[in-house]
Amino acid sequence: MSNAAALRDELQRIVGESGILPDAQIANYTIDGLTPKAVVLPASVWEIQDVLRFAAAQHLSVIPAGSGSKLQSGNSPEKVDIVLAMTHINEVVEYEPADLTVTVEAGIQLTALQEKLADNGQFLPLNPPYASRCTLGGIVAANASGYLRLRYGTARNLVLGLRVVHASGTVVKSGGKVVKNVAGYDVNKLYIGSFGTLGILTEMTLKLSPIPARQALLTAQFQDMQAAAKTGLSIVGSQTLPDFVNLLVNSEHAGPTLVAGFGGDAETVTWQLEQARRIMELNGAIGVKEVEGESFQKLNDAIRAFAESENESRTVIVQVNLKRTDIAEFAENVLTNNAEMLALLGSGVLYLKMEQVEGLAETLATLRERVVAAHGSLIIESAPPELKQQLDVWGPVAPRARNLMQQLKARFDERNLLNPGRFVSGI
Amino acid sequence: MPQKEQLIAELSDLLGPRNVLTDATALSVYECDAAPSFKAMPDVVVFADTAQQVSDIVKLANKHNTPFIARGGGTGLSGGMLSVQGGIIIALNRMNRILEIDYENERAVVEPGVVNLLLTHAVQNEGYHYAPDPSSQKACTIGGNIAENSGGPHTLKYGVTSDHVLGLEVVLPDGEIIELGGVIEETPGYDLRGVMIGSEGTFGIVTKAIVRLTRNPQAYQTALAVFETMDDASNAVSTIIGAGIIPAALEMMDSLVIRALEEAFQFGFPLDAEAILIVELDGIKAGMQNQTDRILEIFKQHNARDVNYAKDDAERQQLWKARKSAFGSFGRLAPNYITQDGVVPRTRLPKVLRRISEISEKYQIPIANVFHAGDGNIHPIVLFNERDADQCERVEHVNMEILSVCAEVGGTITGEHGIGVEKMDYMPLIFSDADLQVMATVKDIFNPTGLCNPGKIFPTPASYAKLGLQPESASGGLK
Ligand SMILES: Cc1cc2nc3c(=O)[nH]c(=O)nc-3n(C[C@H](O)[C@H](O)[C@H](O)COP(=O)(O)OP(=O)(O)OC[C@H]3O[C@@H](n4cnc5c(N)ncnc54)[C@H](O)[C@@H]3O)c2cc1C
Repeated sequence: MSNAAALRDELQRIVGESGILPDAQIANYTIDGLTPKAVVLPASVWEIQDVLRFAAAQHLSVIPAGSGSKLQSGNSPEKVDIVLAMTHINEVVEYEPADLTVTVEAGIQLTALQEKLADNGQFLPLNPPYASRCTLGGIVAANASGYLRLRYGTARNLVLGLRVVHASGTVVKSGGKVVKNVAGYDVNKLYIGSFGTLGILTEMTLKLSPIPARQALLTAQFQDMQAAAKTGLSIVGSQTLPDFVNLLVNSEHAGPTLVAGFGGDAETVTWQLEQARRIMELNGAIGVKEVEGESFQKLNDAIRAFAESENESRTVIVQVNLKRTDIAEFAENVLTNNAEMLALLGSGVLYLKMEQVEGLAETLATLRERVVAAHGSLIIESAPPELKQQLDVWGPVAPRARNLMQQLKARFDERNLLNPGRFVSGI
Repeated sequence: MPQKEQLIAELSDLLGPRNVLTDATALSVYECDAAPSFKAMPDVVVFADTAQQVSDIVKLANKHNTPFIARGGGTGLSGGMLSVQGGIIIALNRMNRILEIDYENERAVVEPGVVNLLLTHAVQNEGYHYAPDPSSQKACTIGGNIAENSGGPHTLKYGVTSDHVLGLEVVLPDGEIIELGGVIEETPGYDLRGVMIGSEGTFGIVTKAIVRLTRNPQAYQTALAVFETMDDASNAVSTIIGAGIIPAALEMMDSLVIRALEEAFQFGFPLDAEAILIVELDGIKAGMQNQTDRILEIFKQHNARDVNYAKDDAERQQLWKARKSAFGSFGRLAPNYITQDGVVPRTRLPKVLRRISEISEKYQIPIANVFHAGDGNIHPIVLFNERDADQCERVEHVNMEILSVCAEVGGTITGEHGIGVEKMDYMPLIFSDADLQVMATVKDIFNPTGLCNPGKIFPTPASYAKLGLQPESASGGLK
């Protein structure tokens, strides 16, 4: 079936008219210059199964998606036939506040979920980029996280159970609904961060947290990176328990900005702010400012959005993972490259943002060598396709681990339908 | 069996005869873990000292087509280290070196035989600890903890082993040594480290681990409350969690446990109370009193009779001693016991505990409860005499009914002890054939010959018969 319009007709028989994205909007789902033949929005697990069976019979690739905020992630797919977007499967399935857990369908938007949870003074402590549109399925599939990971961890620490449709159409579940569970293998971990290459996530149960009674932060400027990082690490290593300690370098200020945030009982937060202020001032901070309320939100929204880029833009976003004590020196070295940066200092994560230019691939390859030598990793979060053609976005995986991963992929998705070529090592 | 003699000779060449046990008396120490109702005799036990030796042993085992099983402290409660098909037990307790401690990055690199509590001892002077704290922490090893993905009382706030292990060195079932994860929080690709943790020693042998260290809290507040009824105590638990308070630990003991504790140790608990809760807050001192006050208010709402505070660390240790001594006191109640390990949603605790007491009535088998209430992780202690065949049969029914209740309310059949041989029959209560097929596929990728710790986790046709179930046709599952 070569004709895209005919393909959409066939798919419409499975998902109905409301389950097919109108032709005019299909271009929004272009991935690295490849426009899908169809975008389907199934309304049930049965429809997902049928779409997958259809795709298998026709040898068509299926690209799972949430709201499409991560289309620029991963290596360029081998082919883009059907985008399967989960946004119509978006209910809260089960929510018992006193259990501090929630079960949701994968297409629910994080903001919609947070609103429901807030009615009970609870929240899901994940704050990845693309706040206004990212879906839970996308967050879990990409193991996406934000600066709150210092205190609360990532999807890896919060997912209790998953329901997944495999490429064959089989529905399976992993884990369960309770906060502790060691029955059988922890298969959840394989799906989290698998970028939809092992199956389509349809439902997930997650651990929640109480919303802190008070949240506040301190910001301060520093002369140089070393001083700022040293101060940040002192706060992380102190008796305070920060929600985040972020280091920001952009064109707004000459030197780096340190941002340390705290949440909890009012009194607990007050004490921590005092401690952190003392540590900052001892280390030569300039203009320590306490921020709370609306400005707190605004500042954090901006930090959260740091690693975002528009689909098909020229922006390159790089995530570097290092030991937290190696961040400052590395950051100092790349600063000369004109990049903006955000370090989640306590977690050992550094985001770099720059424009695609000629020669960037070589620069990043050299940086990656240095990072890997320090037992870290350098991942291109998003980039225009020409950069991806020159550089694997994920970086190297050791041979035997690669072999295990390739076997997993081959057994979970025998016909290589799901997101072919977008993950590590050609998976 | 010349084959076996040949294998033993080759093992002796490799490790020196002193590190190879074949004498029946010596071997009998290794025929069970801390769940002694299951026993199996290994053919040989060897002591390994390095990853290379483990790899060489595994290669020999493969050459002789012989099963091999890692053993840490032998404190497992599901028969995970049993050599059910004979073979080689690889004892790892000599690989007990702490290789590296990096406070600034809050990491330690350890060998698998390091005893859990000794890691905490090694870092406590600098104000750190290793957070997962199984009640067996004086004897269990980090390797065993990783295999079982162990928890403990403080799991409620700090998470389980998987949340604290970043990197692993593993000898795969074919003998190759690989590294998974690392010093950083996540590495590209599928999370193989994540799926290795909790694989009950069936995906290979962990020979090194990079773990997180956790800074000690600035302050603790520990209290013990006595309740007239189990319902009151368990409702207090879900009210606390629902009120947005996450204690570091929230543990419950019922009247039978109280009685056993009193007989054995005389803590001075009232014998007519139905339940005791131990609650611990930890963290920053400023503001902690507010939280404590809110908890006390909740206790009062739920008719707590007495509340005892630990005023200093000695008193705190004393309160915890009661909890930690519980297992030591069951010998007074019956010659044998089985520790169940289901998890239920916290809000279902009252219902589930009532059902357990009905099951106990029905079969006339006493059941004591001491457990991680804050997590909904129950530990019904099923008390019996293994010499009484009739009791043993009733115990079978008791086990099955308790686990069925856990499954029915949306829970699971094990929260920390693992499936091992003990609970493999019950896996179909919570997993479909397709779910199990996924697990079998992953196992087949890591352990294609099946020689690494065989006979565990997966239900057999007999399991389905026991549950009165038909295995569904696994059509459409992974191959
Ligand atoms: C009194 C008591 C209280 C307990 N309390 C708790 C509790 O609070 N929380 C909890 O989670 N558990 C608890 N347990 C259970 C038990 O202590 C844990 O499962 C523990 O992690 C087992 O560790 P071990 O070193 O003794 O392992 P073993 O019993 O020696 O082995 C357990 C399993 O791990 C495998 N294994 C061991 N080392 C390795 C390795 N290096 N690589 C690969 N596989 C390996 C074995 O093959 C086996 O399958 C308790 C047990 C007792 C007796």
